[in-house]
Amino acid sequence: MTSGVPIGRRRALSGAGALLLAVGLAACGSPSSGGGGGGGDGGGGGEGLPDTIKIMNIRALTGPVSFAGLAAQQGIDLALAEIEEDGLLGDSTLEVDSRDSAASAQEAASFASQAAADTSFTAIIGPEASAQALAVSPIAQGQGIPVVYVQAGSEGVLTGDFTFRMTPPAESYFEIVGDYLEQQGVATASVLINTGNPTLVQLGEDTIPALGEAHGFEIVSSSGVETTAQDFTSQASSIAGAAPDAAFLMVQGPQAPVAITQLRQAGFDGEIIGMSAMGAGNLQSAGQTAEGAVWPANFNAGQSDESSQTFVEAFQAEYGEEPTNYSAEAYDAMWFLARAIAEADSADRGAVQQAMADLAAEGFDGAQGSVTFEGNDARVSGVLVRWDGAAEVPFELGEN
Amino acid sequence: MAQDVLNALTLGSLYLLFALGMSLAWGTIGILNFAHGSIFMFAAFSAHLIVREVSLPIPAMILLGALVGAALSVLLQVLAFEPIQRRAKDHRKAELQILVGGIGIAIIPLAIAQRITKSVPFGYSNGAFSVSTYDLGFVRVSNIQLLILVTALGLAGLIGWWLRAARPGLALRAIGVDSEVATMMGVDRRRLALLTMAVAGGLAGLAGVLLTYYLGSIAPETGDAFLLKAFAAIILGGVGSILGVVVGAMVLAGIETVVLVTTDGSWTPAIAFGLIFLMLLVRPNGLFGRQEVRRT
Repeated sequence: MTSGVPIGRRRALSGAGALLLAVGLAACGSPSSGGGGGGGDGGGGGEGLPDTIKIMNIRALTGPVSFAGLAAQQGIDLALAEIEEDGLLGDSTLEVDSRDSAASAQEAASFASQAAADTSFTAIIGPEASAQALAVSPIAQGQGIPVVYVQAGSEGVLTGDFTFRMTPPAESYFEIVGDYLEQQGVATASVLINTGNPTLVQLGEDTIPALGEAHGFEIVSSSGVETTAQDFTSQASSIAGAAPDAAFLMVQGPQAPVAITQLRQAGFDGEIIGMSAMGAGNLQSAGQTAEGAVWPANFNAGQSDESSQTFVEAFQAEYGEEPTNYSAEAYDAMWFLARAIAEADSADRGAVQQAMADLAAEGFDGAQGSVTFEGNDARVSGVLVRWDGAAEVPFELGEN
Repeated sequence: MAQDVLNALTLGSLYLLFALGMSLAWGTIGILNFAHGSIFMFAAFSAHLIVREVSLPIPAMILLGALVGAALSVLLQVLAFEPIQRRAKDHRKAELQILVGGIGIAIIPLAIAQRITKSVPFGYSNGAFSVSTYDLGFVRVSNIQLLILVTALGLAGLIGWWLRAARPGLALRAIGVDSEVATMMGVDRRRLALLTMAVAGGLAGLAGVLLTYYLGSIAPETGDAFLLKAFAAIILGGVGSILGVVVGAMVLAGIETVVLVTTDGSWTPAIAFGLIFLMLLVRPNGLFGRQEVRRT
């Protein structure tokens, strides 16, 4: 699948220095400035840009994480259309070569190797699953091709200057749920962890106990489930028997509705806390049973940031549905890359990487709201989301 | 303790429901169908698509799942497994090709369901049936748990009786022992193979619907996860023995539950499968498997 975007060659900026680049950055900051997907002055490229700039886009369009891959693809397609309309890069053609990795680390590594070996590729938009990203990063870093990831939250994914991540790690904004639990008077909690997922293990074994220390609740039990576990009856009975005030469910998206249903059937009536995997419609099948489940997320379509709402409106106009966090992250990743190319005024990998680092240092307003970076890793303030029995609704502390 | 026993029995019944059809086809007509998980999932998914439009009671949903499962399984037999058996040079090669063919074909319904659902779990929230839980003091049990227990053990008993007492069942067992001799004795192998695949697929569909009710929802990939457990239960109990599948499923579920309630749970598959491996070192044909006799 290849998407083409005509990009203009900017001759006027060819001799611009760092100051001019910084001014250009502020001016063409779409969607960073003025909020929204388009915007900017339609410039930023220069005569250093070739006729065609190729980006390798490695997505899980099929397989168990296709829900993330397909949603991310929508975000990328929307961003591409806006970049074209914006004229950010002028008349050149931006080609996004999308490959389906089907959540296979081998496939992802193979596509990354192809892109690294083919000098016509400027950068990579990296895969969702951490296992795939861990296979791609050494290739990208070793061969000097910039990669920006969507999802891929595990430690070790960012291995050097050429690896960036647009999805803030869950532990970086998980803190916001601590204040909520304190407000609810939670004194004890149990944790259920999918032991096959490094991100979930890290949250369950490090982040949540630390949260407990900071917000005055005690972890009374912690149990693990295998990656593909389908039935949580025993764990649910065990948690219900311990009767904690809250249960943290650090499980994968499709496991979440089952775990919640079985917890409620086992008689547990405390707070249920998840993570962003509970979003993207995964609780729809649990319906009213999951009502009241709360999780911190890096994005929700109802969040109030102006730039987020501009993105949501554009997404709804294009697809007739609300965007998920995967779409928002991929949208930000695509814009981030395009703006870096414009600022670099070149398709050279090293120049684009340097421009990406400069952009990261400044931060921007995107679909996820105000995005800053810690090194090459994105950060957002996060939003608390509650399942109201039919939909995911963002809320502020004190609203409940 | 009583709750743990009930949980183990329920989990074992889920494995048993899934494994029954697979065991029946493997133990009689020699077809190890690795598309069984896909049939299981797609039958449940088809019922989901229907119940989104029309609210149906649970018996209608079970019937619907069983019919879709049976139809898919018969289609698989006619379009894939029969041609493989006709063209294969010998029995061993046919078995291997059927195994690989099943894995390949399983991807088709999986991809369709993944594409439609975007891999988001699906359930029967629009259905007329609702799960109720009863607190008996020493144990909590739900209506769907009871239904699964009764259905799994009832169906296992029915199939076991059918294979031992009914004429078609005896003919099937004869095929399982020696298909050439059975054919010479007047057994219509093709017709019985189709019947067996229909029953196996119907059981997969029934299991898919019941499991979806029990778990609240399943994902398109759920069938794959159960396939490995069912395979282990059949091997443990002994290929060709319905009693073996019952015991295998319950032992597997029992070990998993014990490990879950006594450890942090992360070692469950390693310990459960490790114990099964050790048991098979002692009894290579499984707990109730028949001794294979090779004539030269």
